Amino acid sequence: MRRARKPSQSKLKKEIREMAHRLLIRRVWTLSVKDIRCLPSSAATISSSSFSTSLQSPPSRVSLLSPPRTLPRTLHQISRREVSFNVQDNEDFTERVINSQLPVLVDFHAQWCGPCKILGPRLEKAIAKQKGRVAMAKVDIDEHTDLAIEYGVSAVPTVIAMRGGDVVDHFVGIKDDDELDSFVSKVIGQ
Amino acid sequence: MSPIGKHDYDLVVIGGGSGGLACSKEAAQLGQKVAVLDYVEPSAKGTKWGLGGTCVNVGCIPKKLMHQAALLGTAVKDAQKYGWQISGTVSHDWSTMAEAVQNYVKSLNWGHRVQLQDKKVTYLNLKGTLVDKHTIRGLSKAGKETILTAKNIVLATGGRPKYPSNVPGAVEHGITSDDIFWLKKSPGKTLVVGASYVALECAGFLTGIGLNTTVMVRSIALRGFDQQMAGLVTDYMESYGTRFEWKSVPTRVERLSSGALKVTWTNTQTGCEHSDTFDSVLWAVGRSPETKALGLDKVGVQISKETGKVIVGADESSSVPNIYAFGDIGEGRPELTPTAIKAGRLLAHRLAGRSSELMNYDNVATTVFTPLEYGCVGLSEVEAERRHGKDGIEVYHAFYKPLEFTVSQRDSSQCYIKVICEREGNQKILGLHFLGPNAGEVLQGFSLALQCGATYPQLTRTVGIHPTSAEELMKVNITKRSGLDPTVTGC
Repeated sequence: MRRARKPSQSKLKKEIREMAHRLLIRRVWTLSVKDIRCLPSSAATISSSSFSTSLQSPPSRVSLLSPPRTLPRTLHQISRREVSFNVQDNEDFTERVINSQLPVLVDFHAQWCGPCKILGPRLEKAIAKQKGRVAMAKVDIDEHTDLAIEYGVSAVPTVIAMRGGDVVDHFVGIKDDDELDSFVSKVIGQ
Repeated sequence: MSPIGKHDYDLVVIGGGSGGLACSKEAAQLGQKVAVLDYVEPSAKGTKWGLGGTCVNVGCIPKKLMHQAALLGTAVKDAQKYGWQISGTVSHDWSTMAEAVQNYVKSLNWGHRVQLQDKKVTYLNLKGTLVDKHTIRGLSKAGKETILTAKNIVLATGGRPKYPSNVPGAVEHGITSDDIFWLKKSPGKTLVVGASYVALECAGFLTGIGLNTTVMVRSIALRGFDQQMAGLVTDYMESYGTRFEWKSVPTRVERLSSGALKVTWTNTQTGCEHSDTFDSVLWAVGRSPETKALGLDKVGVQISKETGKVIVGADESSSVPNIYAFGDIGEGRPELTPTAIKAGRLLAHRLAGRSSELMNYDNVATTVFTPLEYGCVGLSEVEAERRHGKDGIEVYHAFYKPLEFTVSQRDSSQCYIKVICEREGNQKILGLHFLGPNAGEVLQGFSLALQCGATYPQLTRTVGIHPTSAEELMKVNITKRSGLDPTVTGC
């Protein structure tokens, strides 16, 4: 059974930086979605002609990305019905974690990991307390090995907190209920 | 390191088992740019597994754990004699054991993945084939092709169990060691065909967990091992509850309407035909090297016509200068994990130009994890006689009784030790054989002694640890030549 290991502070920071770097590749069209969301407010501040040309391009980008238009609504539905879910594949991860409107805790776990079985229910409890303000994505590292490796998971359980597609925090190993509550609160930004 | 831009990698290793992983990680640590290709072709029954090779997934590791499960069964029975109050009968649940073992193996698959990542070895889940001496074609499960070039190529693809070629129904109805450890449900009443250590170890733990088990032996048991010791191993197994069909060969396997398997066989001594029904048939009739699909003939890597293994030099080089092969696919090499690991690491050092040290394959200790374990290092008695002549060796031996067997009233008739020494000169120890509980643990230290050239006088001058079974090795003094009774009596 894999025991939880605490990486050193500098290694942790390095891992977070590397993770963030890798995320840039994933986030190419996420950026586009964000631009569309940001555009109405930035349009109000635009006065120069150079910006008015850029205003013309968004419509084509919007049409290319019409599915994302429906995304916020779908996500809202998901966040109401499925606060905690099992990640199915890479596309699912991109859609429901990286592009999530909500902050998401990603629980990397394995069937053979004893501590994971203890942490799992505790995480569910901590998430449920937040009544839809945070979601949880569960990743079985044997089924999604490449994804786990991409996020620098070595020991399990590893929990990564993501907000707006960015890794904002993480921990390895078991935490008790109080520690989890404060971790989750910090992630939501309370 | 290779000149920039010439090849994709300094080293590509085909095979992610004990040898391949050790070699690739060591090479990466020495600064080489390394990739390892690992791919598991599912067994005939569809069993497949993750990174780590035979040892981790379908060999040493699950075997030893199931052997332990069986030993614990015996221990529980013994426990009552030691005062433990165990109410009712104790039974074994295959699914519980299998799940626990399979989960542990999966944790090792993951561990290996992480290690490759940490050591900066590129891992590719592709089936590798040689295109030319610097080019490999990797095929994914979905059929996608990737081409890689490498300065040096190492082949460490290991082996897979053989199926008999002349027994109708063998493939459709039988399983092999590739499958047994991954079964979700108990194999039930099992016929194990073969008498290699794979066959005997499997039959041993199946018997130990309470399954009706039969071993079918064509000629001799544990070919390649000291035959006197092999006889004692099978004697113990027979008294332990495993049935043996000696000098018999299966002729066909059929599935009955009940779902059970009917096996028909011929006793080659009597010429009579027999049959019986089993729930499972486990073929343990040898292993063949994974060299057929590597494209070796295209590149000119020579293999042995008899075994199919790659013909290698003392430095693991093949007939093609920059292509190496080691582990189970190397001709004449022991099929063991520790030798593959060590050879792989030394090869990495040589390829990185850091050393010229060759792998020493002599005096490698091994243990057969049958219900009564057999550990040995050095020469068998027959081999020692062949090399030094019957008069050139002295064989010291002893039948002993492990202390733990006394209270539990267990039969120790096969607990036996044999120390083979040179008769003249400094009486160097040539071979050491130990049959008894924890043989592997007992023997490890003695393999160091042999490595250091230990002699019989040094052995007898070393004080034993008391009370242990291992100390009996230091006390051997009855020679076979004397004809005296070698049974150890008292303290």
